[in-house]
Amino acid sequence: MERIEHASCRLGEAYTTVVHPSGLSVYVYPKKMTGIYALFATNYGSLDSTFSVDGKDETLPDGIAHFLEHKLFENEDGTDAFSAFSSLGADANAYTSYGRTAYLFSCTEHFGEALEELLRFVTHPCFRKESVKREASIIAEEIRMYRDQPWERVYESMLGALYRRHPVRKSICGSVASVKRITPEELYRAYEVFYRLSNMALIVCGDVSTEEVLTVVDRILTHKTADAPSVTRKIPRDAGAVAKPYTEERMQVSKPIFSIGIKDAVLLSDPRERLSRELSMSLLNEILFSQASDFYNGLFEKGLLTPAFTVGYSAAETFAFDCLSGESEDPEAVLRELKAYLAEVCKRGISREDFERCRRALYADEIRAYDSTEEIANRLLSFVFDGMEMFDSVELLEEITPEEIEQLMRSFFREDRFVLSVIRPKINEET
Amino acid sequence: MIPDVISVQERLLLRACKTDKFKAGMLSLSLALPIRDDAYLTTLVMAVLLRGSERYPTVAAINRRLDYLYGTEVSLRNHYCGDLHVIGLCADLVGEEYLPLRTDGEVSVMEGAIEVMRELLFHPLLDEEGNLLAHYVESEKRLQCDNIRAQKNHPHAYAAERCKSLMYEGTPGGIPILGTEEDVMAVTPQRLTAHWRAIIRNLSLDCFYVGGCEPLDVACLLKKALSGELGASLVARGSPVAVPLSLRECRSLEETQPITQSHLIMGYDIGAFINQRDFYAATVCNELLGGSPISKLFMNVREKLGLCYSCHSAYNAYRGTVMISCGLSAASRDAAQREIEAQISALAEGSITDAEWIAAKKSLENAYRQLEDSPVSLERLFFGRALAGLSVSPEECRRAIDEVTREEVVACARRMRADTVFFLRATENGEVTEDGED
Repeated sequence: MERIEHASCRLGEAYTTVVHPSGLSVYVYPKKMTGIYALFATNYGSLDSTFSVDGKDETLPDGIAHFLEHKLFENEDGTDAFSAFSSLGADANAYTSYGRTAYLFSCTEHFGEALEELLRFVTHPCFRKESVKREASIIAEEIRMYRDQPWERVYESMLGALYRRHPVRKSICGSVASVKRITPEELYRAYEVFYRLSNMALIVCGDVSTEEVLTVVDRILTHKTADAPSVTRKIPRDAGAVAKPYTEERMQVSKPIFSIGIKDAVLLSDPRERLSRELSMSLLNEILFSQASDFYNGLFEKGLLTPAFTVGYSAAETFAFDCLSGESEDPEAVLRELKAYLAEVCKRGISREDFERCRRALYADEIRAYDSTEEIANRLLSFVFDGMEMFDSVELLEEITPEEIEQLMRSFFREDRFVLSVIRPKINEET
Repeated sequence: MIPDVISVQERLLLRACKTDKFKAGMLSLSLALPIRDDAYLTTLVMAVLLRGSERYPTVAAINRRLDYLYGTEVSLRNHYCGDLHVIGLCADLVGEEYLPLRTDGEVSVMEGAIEVMRELLFHPLLDEEGNLLAHYVESEKRLQCDNIRAQKNHPHAYAAERCKSLMYEGTPGGIPILGTEEDVMAVTPQRLTAHWRAIIRNLSLDCFYVGGCEPLDVACLLKKALSGELGASLVARGSPVAVPLSLRECRSLEETQPITQSHLIMGYDIGAFINQRDFYAATVCNELLGGSPISKLFMNVREKLGLCYSCHSAYNAYRGTVMISCGLSAASRDAAQREIEAQISALAEGSITDAEWIAAKKSLENAYRQLEDSPVSLERLFFGRALAGLSVSPEECRRAIDEVTREEVVACARRMRADTVFFLRATENGEVTEDGED
């Protein structure tokens, strides 16, 4: 097994990558902490409902990746995988995102046994009709819980306004109706297609050696994965026009909340270029919209924004957008002010002082990310399936120039790329 | 890991854990005062202090300075710990050795952060008459009223708060930290300024540091920055440990809201407090009941009966209470309540399997070990206990958990007495999706 060492002298951090004979990519990140955090993840998420296997198209119900994540904890003998972790004092969990499904645990002792259990239960699916039906009820309650969260709703509606067809517009959990349709056979099919070890990664961060991890992997994953069928994801790249510029809903909120989405017209396939653009957008957001910015403070003084104002850029190979969310009695005025502000900054440019100050803040965020085994492991996961190097962030951040940021600002915020999603109080709440 | 305790000067105590484990350390400055009817004034004054100081007169100026100090994050602290109201500031500081962009002559991140925190707490922007700026006070009053109204935006948190306010009615814990809109809107800059002056004149400052700096160096920086800021008189802050709830019939209340999911909150009196011997037994009891994914509530209410997505319990050791929360459909309410009560009875009858027992103990021991990986968790343990006059290390906590017996846990479960049941009934059970209405 070839080992690749990754190191950053700047950060004083390092990790090792090994491709195990089973086909599984293993990442071991030694860190002198009390707890050890392990993630076993597949390159499969809520966006992957439609795919093609050996040239034949298939579609599974929305929310199936998340449903599968719930059901994988059930063992063949009817017990629950949580019990095994608990008996070892390990804390287990799982999550599903747009592009990943991850199973994880943290522990301070019995690491080898806990890792064994993680590898075992994820590689032994068991989906029974009755328990699948019961799980649909549990997930329906989870969906209802999210539907009562106004910030989730306004964000989801913003995505629906940005994207006409891209599956990012749909909830990761699916809908109550789509979840109720899911069958054990469909769960097995999703598992068969996407839970091949060559499509998965094991990431361990903590006071542990590569040998300790590989000893367990060798013991549990004894068979090489059969030659995998050719699986193609059918996620459309969408950098085209927005679906609709405005969307509005009513629910129980005390004042209107909003998400302004700005669709990126540029989608990058090269992972390093994408990482560089993500960092540049983060820096641009910090300069333009942070609590130190003229924009935030101007609107805060006018009573148009409150401290509940957040900004973030999200990017993947098939979609990318910037998002500004907050609460305001007049979201339309916030959007007008935003466009006027951007026109003015594009005209006058960004000061060197603002650029350096914000770069300092972002640089410090990069440093802080290496203080937690959980954060390191999850951060590494967000890089590995895309073929990106985690340690590149700090260097790329140092390479960004003020000229590049100004150029990005002038090309990114195009008039036809904005959408506004608003949730207003229910009528009887206003009176 | 246990902190060095350094008396920096009268009314200024530093607890510091020196460790090279983290690239970013944390420093907090906290004050604790008894919860009073005017707790909303304390909440309001802290928000106004963060609007601007003599040297950093605007939110923009404060944040620009913090950005320059390598994105040092200074966050507000404003919460109840038992019967105490804890306020203060907490800074997240990146270690100097990781900062290549520094220029000559810059103060250290630590020194700079202490200076900003001193400015915010002790040198707010005042008008010519020595009062907090009316403009800032009015603006923060409106925001606090927004926050009062916004509590309904989060149905689960709202339901839990409603249950607590009913349970602790007539005690300090029942006093809303945000107050009422009427109270808040009646505040004048003069009254708020007097409140601020009373706080900084009468209180002692508890500092907590975790990071790579030498504790004595941190103490010196604190002394240099803060000597002369603290007043001369001192008011005893009292104990955070609440008076036990009085015996009464269990009350059951219900509200309806136009939301999708209902919330059942059940408040119990367990009568075990942080400064008592059975604190650890009550901690294990809560873990068995609803503290983990293999707890009795999770395994039965969710996994076996499929009645909800979440069902868990939380033990408040400063109040001697346990709060059980469950998000569910309105139709499942009775079945869920019956099952929750059945699981408490099972625990009280000693129905604890070996697997449950081992898992609960190991889970808690694991949690105490992992405290050492988080500066914030370490502070929560050491400062939280110090408020109650206790000094204990994570290792001692683990040993105490290990020594808890089944009999002690069963005794705790038997003492659990239902005090308040609050049900937030959802009136919108449908879901409009692309798939149509369910």
